This record gives sequence, C-alpha cells and structure tokens, in this order.
Amino acid sequence: MWKHGKGQLWRVLPLLCTGLLFLTPVQPRVQVAHAALAPADLAIRFEALLGQHSVLAADLMRSRIRGDDDFVQAANTALGRNTKDMAALVGQLFGTGTADKFSPLWSEHIVELVAYAGALAARDDKAKGDALHELTEYEVELGDFFAGASHGRLSPAAARQAVVAHVGHLTGQADAYAAGDYATADDLYRMGYQHTYDLGLTLAEALLPAADAATLREPLWRLRSQLGKLLAEHAVLVEDLTRAAVTNTPDFAASGDMINGNTRDLAAAMDTLFGPAAARQFQSLWADHVEQLVAYAQGNKDSARTAMAGIERKLGTFLSGATGERIATGRLTAALQQHDTMLMRHADAYAGKDYATAHDVAYQTYQEMFDLARTMADAFGASVAARLPRGGAQTGYGGMATVVAARPQTGFDGMATVVASSPRPGR
Amino acid sequence: MPPYARIPALAALTLGLLAGLGSRPAASAPAPSPSAPPSPRPAFHADRTYDAVAVPVRLRIPALHVDSPVQTLGLRADGTIAVPSRTDVAGWYDQGPRPGQPGPAVILGHVDSTTGPGIFIGLAAVRPGTTVRIDRSDGTYAAFRITHISRVPKVEFPTDVVYAPTLDPTLRLVTCGGSFDRSRGSYRDNVIAFADPA
Repeated sequence: MWKHGKGQLWRVLPLLCTGLLFLTPVQPRVQVAHAALAPADLAIRFEALLGQHSVLAADLMRSRIRGDDDFVQAANTALGRNTKDMAALVGQLFGTGTADKFSPLWSEHIVELVAYAGALAARDDKAKGDALHELTEYEVELGDFFAGASHGRLSPAAARQAVVAHVGHLTGQADAYAAGDYATADDLYRMGYQHTYDLGLTLAEALLPAADAATLREPLWRLRSQLGKLLAEHAVLVEDLTRAAVTNTPDFAASGDMINGNTRDLAAAMDTLFGPAAARQFQSLWADHVEQLVAYAQGNKDSARTAMAGIERKLGTFLSGATGERIATGRLTAALQQHDTMLMRHADAYAGKDYATAHDVAYQTYQEMFDLARTMADAFGASVAARLPRGGAQTGYGGMATVVAARPQTGFDGMATVVASSPRPGR
Repeated sequence: MPPYARIPALAALTLGLLAGLGSRPAASAPAPSPSAPPSPRPAFHADRTYDAVAVPVRLRIPALHVDSPVQTLGLRADGTIAVPSRTDVAGWYDQGPRPGQPGPAVILGHVDSTTGPGIFIGLAAVRPGTTVRIDRSDGTYAAFRITHISRVPKVEFPTDVVYAPTLDPTLRLVTCGGSFDRSRGSYRDNVIAFADPA
C-alpha cells in the first residue's frame, strides 16, 4: 500500500486505524472472560464473534465510503475490540501459538478491507485493484493458516473458499453500497453475517479435538448456536435500521427489508419449536417491538417508550409460557426491557453523533442477546423435549422377520457403512 | 505486503496517526452516500407473516420404489409415537417440523405386515446418497439425501438425536429392524435413516 499511497493521507487511514488496534486499550466495561467455559461454549462464542466481525467490518467500510470519519474511528475501535476478543478465544480454544499467528493475519485482512472501501470512496480503480490484490494474498494466507491449524481436517482449498466467500461478501456489499444499490448491499450484509458466523462452526469442528467437535453437533448445542445467530443478528439489524431512521437516509427501506428478513426467520424458528399458531403470535409481538424502536428513533420517544413497555410484558409472558415457565415471566420481561433500553441508548447516542458510545452499547447489546439466546435455547429445548415421543416406534409385525434380521448390522454411531442390497418394492 | 514488514509498518503508522490526529482528511471524492437526508420520514412496517412450509402429502424414494401418500401421526396415550394405520403407507409425526422447514422432520413406515413387506422393507439397506422427495400440500416439494443409516435397540432409542429441535432442515426416516421378538410381537430394534437437504 505504501507504494501507492504517497501524498494521500486517506489511503493510509485503514492502516492507521488498524495500528490503533494494537495500542488502544480495550474499553473495560464489557469483559469477555470465559476461561472456565467448556470448549463447546467457547466455540459458539467464537461463532458469534465471527458474525459480529462481519457486520462491524461492513459498517466500517460503509462509513469509510460515506466519508464519515468520526464513525470510522468508532467502528474501528469496536472492530479492534472484536478482534482482541476473538484472539483471546482462539487462544483458549486452539492454543496460544495459534492465537499469536491468527491475530496479525486477521487484523491485516481488515486493513485491506478498509483500503478497499477507501478506494471506492475515492473512485480510485488502481487503489481498489491494489487492495483486491492484497486481499487475495490474505485469502490464501488465512486459508492456509486455518488448514494448517486443523492438521488436515480442513483442506486448504475448503479453507480458502470459506475466506474468499467472507471477503467477497464484504467487498460486494461495499461495491453495492458505494453505487447506492442498498438492497443488494444489505442482502450481502446478511449473507456475510450468516456465512461468517457459520464459518466459526466449520473452524471449530476442524480445529477442536474430535469429542469437542462432536459436542457441537448435538441438538442442544446446535440450537444454542442457531438461536444465538438469529437473536444477535436482530440486535445488529435493528441498530442498522434505527441509525437509518435517525438520519432519514435513503438506505432506510433496504435496512427495513433486512430486519424483516430476520424477523421472518425468527418466526420460522418459533414455528419449528412451538408450531405455526405460536409463531404467528410471536411474530406479531416481535413486529410491534421493532416498529416501536423505529418510531423512537424517528422522534416519537414518549409514545414509543410507553408502547414498548407493554410489548415487553406481553413478550415476556408469551416466551415464559413457551418455556413452560422454565424462565419466569418477570425475568424475561426484565431482559427484554434491558434490550430495549440498550437499543434506545444506541439510537440516542447515534443521534447525538456520540459514535463511541453508540458502538460501545451496540457491542454490549450483541453479547447480551447472544447470552439471552443461549438461556432461551436451553429452556425451549427442555420445553420441547418434555413432549417428544418416548421410546422407539412399533413399525413392524414380523411377516418378513427372516429377511429383516438378515439386514446388515449397524451400530448407532452415525458411521454405519451400509452394504448395498437389491431393493424390493415397498408394497 | 511481506510478513516481515507488517507489524513495523502498523506501528509506524499508528505513531503517525497519534502525532497527526485531528488533521485527518475527508474523502477526496465521496461516493454516492446516504448522508443527504430526504424528506418526509418514511414509514416502517414490520413483517407479520412468514413463509410457513406446507404439510407433507407424499413420499417418494425411487431407489426403494417407494411412492406413498403420507398420513399424519401424533402420540399415543402412553407417550409413544403413533404408527401408520397401513403397512404400505408412510406417516409424518405432525407434532414436529414439516419436511423442509428448519428442524428434524420425522417420517415413519412399517418394515412389514404379518404376511409381507411394508413400505420401508428396504430402508436398512439403502445407500448413503439416496434421494428422498417429499411432496407438500401446496404443490412444492423438499428433496433430501440420506447421509447415514443406524440401527439401535428400541430400549435405547435416541430420542434426542432423532426428534430434538435444531434449526437444521433435516429428515429422519424410521422403521423396525433386527430380530423379531415373537413373545412381544415386536422387532427389537429401530432403523433410522438420517437425511440432509439435497
């Protein structure tokens, strides 16, 4: 980058900002210390941090494209905090040696992403090409690093493909954002979040010992991870929408479509857990929740605050009921109140151009929603488990007992190798 | 940028920033930006519907010559799963996910009747990779590919692995297997085919 950046300070901004990652102390308010957690717990937190990285990087790139330098600074600080948190988890999960190699590689791909956004802002095709060239190099290096750390469980090609997709989502959303195509930009924003979140599972499965990796595939751990992805994304997207609402910017409609996509996904998840009727009831309440947060950001603060209090109580009651009161209504209502309070604080800080506070609040809100999702996943899982069928199925009467008994013997290990036989008509 | 140059460059640049903070230039030629506020304030309407997946009506497994309507199944009074009323028809557990929606959908079929084969007589020997298609009531369908087969004693049936909720849109096909206990009139094992979206 140096050779192309002489005399143009904006070009070194990404490096300057990322340099701060190494010198700026992490704000101490929200600590991420999970030393006592099991590997699977650390792994799903790693997934969440990866997802958060994707949206923070996209936000940083967008602010760079807008030329909103104050927001760039705050977004960069948040991204640095995310990188530090991630490096700490990498150290706990995969060892300090791996973490030591991971941190600079990861930080450097952020540098080039911001350089790419800067080139878009300046409409400098040469700088954009240079950034892409650097990104391509880092894709190979990062992919090879992950593949090497997996000791053969993740092929270099697969690892590179995952990194290429991650970079592609971020550069693609930046391209679309710079062109004013906010619908495409936001589609890629969501895809990038989901892909990068899931990349955490891919990496954890490849790098963790086999027993820990298998734990991550157990239904409860999958549900914790998946609900965490949806609810943490909700926090991110509602913040994006309220920022657009505060400033009444042209990306408002696309941002609204984005949060609606998340709301539909959450409703579909509730359908899976509790059926369509419950899903419809949930979605109606959740829609009210999002609409009132937007109303608040647009200036209707008193009426929105009053409406939100009622929604929190109704949602708390609904969700507590869904868990069979495994989580008390009061506890859930309080958690939802906290969630709304944080989102209102975020909107206020953003409206006041206090971007540091806005990012600080957003960071904490993301983590709190992930933690709430884990609590709810456990309670939802237990609630559903209580009504699952007991024992096996009586699906045979013995008329073909000789043939059936001669079928290949396979154990319940998921690794059965079934010998082909001549299929016969089922009836 | 070669690896040996990265960290020194970052450190040098950081010092430069600390020295020159406050004189950070704005973008020289801002791209189209959403910073210019239009008016009036647009309304936001949150979605209040989602794409609910329709119920299954037909099961097709060409490799097993299975092409069957699908009954709905609930629970018996003793908490065990109900089974299809006919041995040549499959049944879907309707207290769980519908095939293709997030979560594990479960379809049962008999391995035999008292006199001949049932719809899932060939399930235990099916090859991984076999395609399963579920037609739904709205004309859509979901396609799955069997990943592996397991046989497990009914007394150790893995309820959690088969039924417990995740948001992965998977399918499980369940029938009987193993030896037949004449005294109980029941097979001792269940055969479970696990399938992922094709």
